[in-house]
Amino acid sequence: MRLSLKTRLVSALLTPAILFGFSASPAEAAEYVPVNGAGSSWSANAIDQWRRNVVQYGMRVNYASTGSSDGRNQFKAGTVDFASSEIPYGLKDGSVVDALPSRAFAYIPLVAGGTALMYNLKIGGKRFTNLKMSGENLTKVFTGVITSWDDPAIAAENPGVSLPKRKIVPVVRSDGSGSTAQFTSWMADEHTKIWDDYCKLAGRSTPCGLTSNYPVVSGKGYVSQPGSQGVSGYVSQNANEGTITYVEYSYALKTGFPVLKLLNKSDHYVLPTASNVAVALLEAKIDTRPGNSYLTQILTGVYSSKDPRSYPLSSYSYLIIPTAVSGSFTAAKGATLGDFAYYYLCEGQQQAEVLGYSPLPINLVKAGLEQVKKIPGVSAKNKDVAKCNNPTFSADGTNLLAKNAPMPPAADKKGYTGTDPGADPGTDPGTDPGTDPGTDPGTDPGTDPGTDPGTNPGTGGGGYVDNGGIVDNGIVGPGFCDNDTGICQAVSAEAINPPNPSGRAFAQAQIIFLIVLFIALLLAVPVLSVLRRRKQN
Amino acid sequence: MATKTQQSLSKDALAMAADTQKPRQLKYVWDFQDRIFRGVMRSAGSSVLVIMGLVGLFLTLRASEALGSVGFSFFTTQAWEPDSGNFGIAAVIAGTVIIAIIAIVVAVPFSLGTALYISEYAPRRIKRLLITMVDLMAAIPSVVFGLWGFFFLQNEVTPVAKWLSQNFGWIPFLSVQGSDPSDPLTSNTVFTSSSLIAGIVVGLMITPIVTSVMREVFSQAPIGEREAALGLGSTRWGMVRNVVLSFGKGGIIGATMLGLGRALGETIAVYMIISPVFVVQPRILENGANSVSSLIALRYGEATQMGMSALMAAGLALFIMTLIVNFAASSIVARSRSGASS
Amino acid sequence: MTTQNIVEEQKRQLHGIRIRDLLTTLTAATSAVAATGFLFSIAPLNGVLTFVLIAYVLFIVFFALITAIDDDREGVKDRVASVIIRSAAVIIFSALVFIVVFTISRGFEALPYLNFFTQDMSLAGPLDPLSSGGILHSILGSLIQIAIALAITIPLGLITAVFLNEIPGKYSRFVRTMVEAMTALPSIVAGLFIYATAILLLGVQKSGFAAALAISVMMLPIMIRASDVVLRIVPGTLKEASLGLGAGAWRTAWMVTLPTARSGLTTAIILATARGIGETSPVLLTSGFTASLNLNPTEGPMVSLPLAIFQFVKSPEPTMIARGFGTAAVLMFLVLILFMLARILGSDKNVFGNLVKNIRKLTKKKVA
Repeated sequence: MRLSLKTRLVSALLTPAILFGFSASPAEAAEYVPVNGAGSSWSANAIDQWRRNVVQYGMRVNYASTGSSDGRNQFKAGTVDFASSEIPYGLKDGSVVDALPSRAFAYIPLVAGGTALMYNLKIGGKRFTNLKMSGENLTKVFTGVITSWDDPAIAAENPGVSLPKRKIVPVVRSDGSGSTAQFTSWMADEHTKIWDDYCKLAGRSTPCGLTSNYPVVSGKGYVSQPGSQGVSGYVSQNANEGTITYVEYSYALKTGFPVLKLLNKSDHYVLPTASNVAVALLEAKIDTRPGNSYLTQILTGVYSSKDPRSYPLSSYSYLIIPTAVSGSFTAAKGATLGDFAYYYLCEGQQQAEVLGYSPLPINLVKAGLEQVKKIPGVSAKNKDVAKCNNPTFSADGTNLLAKNAPMPPAADKKGYTGTDPGADPGTDPGTDPGTDPGTDPGTDPGTDPGTDPGTNPGTGGGGYVDNGGIVDNGIVGPGFCDNDTGICQAVSAEAINPPNPSGRAFAQAQIIFLIVLFIALLLAVPVLSVLRRRKQN
Repeated sequence: MATKTQQSLSKDALAMAADTQKPRQLKYVWDFQDRIFRGVMRSAGSSVLVIMGLVGLFLTLRASEALGSVGFSFFTTQAWEPDSGNFGIAAVIAGTVIIAIIAIVVAVPFSLGTALYISEYAPRRIKRLLITMVDLMAAIPSVVFGLWGFFFLQNEVTPVAKWLSQNFGWIPFLSVQGSDPSDPLTSNTVFTSSSLIAGIVVGLMITPIVTSVMREVFSQAPIGEREAALGLGSTRWGMVRNVVLSFGKGGIIGATMLGLGRALGETIAVYMIISPVFVVQPRILENGANSVSSLIALRYGEATQMGMSALMAAGLALFIMTLIVNFAASSIVARSRSGASS
Repeated sequence: MTTQNIVEEQKRQLHGIRIRDLLTTLTAATSAVAATGFLFSIAPLNGVLTFVLIAYVLFIVFFALITAIDDDREGVKDRVASVIIRSAAVIIFSALVFIVVFTISRGFEALPYLNFFTQDMSLAGPLDPLSSGGILHSILGSLIQIAIALAITIPLGLITAVFLNEIPGKYSRFVRTMVEAMTALPSIVAGLFIYATAILLLGVQKSGFAAALAISVMMLPIMIRASDVVLRIVPGTLKEASLGLGAGAWRTAWMVTLPTARSGLTTAIILATARGIGETSPVLLTSGFTASLNLNPTEGPMVSLPLAIFQFVKSPEPTMIARGFGTAAVLMFLVLILFMLARILGSDKNVFGNLVKNIRKLTKKKVA
């Protein structure tokens, strides 16, 4: 009898678990063992999409977007099967070198993209979306040298715009982050003096170099938030006017907030669109020496690319894979991880652009496919790269996306004196038709639903969208959803969540009902006990 | 255990009888079955001891690495860069204490009022309901409070904070750097993610538990003394002040300390709200705060060997602080009049 | 004290509302609101909270003034104190109820969808509408984790509590002090401990089991302490009677002490459970994160409700935030159910116990 109390309790808790467990366990293909990963929130949107796409093959990929530092560290500690990171191991952060993991590992390029500068600024009550800035001013903004939006240096770059006298609030990452590392490495490379001065102020030793943890000087009004979700979420709150943050372009697209047009070395203000990133990455040096840094990138060339289309803050992130069985990583997991890698290197890259990233160029995909073979337990495949339908590929090996990238409009050239915020009327007709015919013959048959019913289980119109068109307008366009992927872009926060006028009243009634129910439940206990006591008396 | 207010007098008498007979030692005859039982009990007690000891020992051992490398400056350094050897808990401990103090300042007056209301003012009919509600509220998960603080309270507190800083900015801890009150375009962001908001949320979170303990103590105030006070012509407030409050003084302090202990260790609600800074930030209205537990939540993943050790040291410091507070609370309660009778 | 027990003593009824009090309150409130409104129109003030704060202060002042008209000093003090105490209670209760209602109403977008309770998030990304994806994985994860934690803490906790009471001495006093000290252990440190030992040192995966261990470390001292307090109230006379009848220590504990304290013990267990199921920080460090259902606690990450909430609301997507609030509502419901369970199981004549007994009788009859 006494025992039964305990058993009753435990069984009360367990029974639903077991019941549900049997009824709801998903039809899982037996041959795939789930794999667990963690890391970069910069690439999280892409991985999240791919993770969903491979469920149909029975693969289960668990991914926690906890920041690159966390991912690298967890991989080192063996608590995850794979990690993703924007920066490789072995870089010097401050005065400390990030040690290599003791387990055997290799890098596979994950996805390319631009670190965008997302901001929340209103002029006369309307969201301003056409801000241009040079790298130097941007560095000054993030080092507290420029503190107001109406600073003459910014105003000079945005002629004809009356910027408000509002404080600039830089929003930085509070966790160890690859985005921070990429961004600070760019500042350290390009604007060493300003960056070092700031570091000194923040109590770091100089020369500062790149760091994963953004140094924050108290009292400057900086805001620190964890994760890409955190910073983009903070900036996209309506009340947080005057904020600016560095985050992968896809987060800006998702939240419908504008990003800076950054001045490149050929004096053009450019956006981190897929094509601009692809152009910039043509200048990236890839470490092809076999060894622990094989396939890592050296970005100094990207920062100083002379192409008028190149976006300076472009980079690609890595998937860090184990190349030997160790700890909880088994060959069976290797098989899953390998197939997942094959999937994202080939089919997955088609969606990169829609997601706000840039597809990997052919050389990286080829090298990546070779790297996949190093995963223990992988069912090595000889993927035909030509069948990947990657929009960057072409027959002659050049980067098609980069080749066909639209030139930035004249209005985005430094020193353009037209008053019109007017990138719109002038450029759109020019750029959009220009690119599409160019890419279509090559890529469209591939991206059309017809050829890849497996990956995109929807029907749907086009393969992918030219991002340039949407943002060049200078206005955040209406909601746009791609049926293939279910990805909406350039939508304001409300549009994602379409109001259902007929359902409103119903929902309200339900709310009331639920509240009543809750209160009833709340009251039930005492009422019951009172009643029982009455009975007893 | 927390709900034995209106129990019948007979039960009370039983408990009292148990009290008066406590010193009597019970003699058992240990036969074979009982020996096994005793063995099981002892081993359970020992294993609990081992588990608890392991936690403490392990924390101390791992923390000693970090403490050894920086020595005393661990308590005076504000920065947190364990890998370059420049780290200390001055900023995070100060942040933790600031948030906890705000929480206490918010929670105690309200708890006191609510506890007095339930035990002295509430009509009998709803008393029982209120007690249940308080107990139930104590069980609301902290993440829910965090949600509320982040999505609701933040927006509501911002204008109040702005107003406070405009009018009382001359008080050092209410001043705000980087905001010009006369500027209509002054950014709201400087008033978000502050110690104040985190403190209010934590304060609300600990209110039910503090209320529950206080009410329990108040309900034990001797009826005879209450009646005596009223009989001598005291007003109800006079009776409450002179009998209930003076009787429950120890309980009030104890409950406050208990709440303080809870507030010090709160993680997730604080983590969701604050924007961490690694300096002592006494300006409570201003963006930027920190706490030990949210530091651990933020940095555990990316911590290297040394980083982990430093986090352990911070956790140990927090643990010891909470420990001191808790023991102080229990000794105050035990020594007070209300505590001695419970 | 002891002599008073003879007389059946009742508290004198000091309650009741006088019409004059009511009118005074109303007048003071109305004028306070009006005055605040006036202040708002002439001074640059805004915000609901500011309004409420100012109005409240004015209300107290007005109330004091009105009562001062025909009351002496003590009277005014009494009335003002009564109003302040009442309003403190009103504020706290409405704030707490508001938190609950706020959570439910924000989560209400997600709650009407059946799939919210029957699916996991493996096929739903940040941009998917609420009609796909759900929190089944975290509901089950929470239940599995808390079940494992209870399987560890209930036997260990209860036996230890009995030990503390039945075998008094230096050793048990030491154990008690240690347990008391451990109740001060912040939950995040409990998580950190398991993370550093089980996961980093021993190589246990981030999994439901690791999370359950962390929850256990957090819950164990709470449970022991609460049960200890309950067991201490069991009258020594009962035990003496049992011993006097020739029962041994084991029989006394099993047949007398535990049954007597049953209702208190159940409450202790369930309140500790409510605490364990709602705590985010230990699982944040130990359980890992996954979007899909995982029923195996030893292998792979397993999400629980608080962690799911935490992850949902990190996202800037409104649908994800709605899911987060919906999950919070579910978590609160779970806690509420636990609470009611505590009340029902803890009451002396419990409904379930009789039910179970009756069912058992019935089934026995059938078998026979």
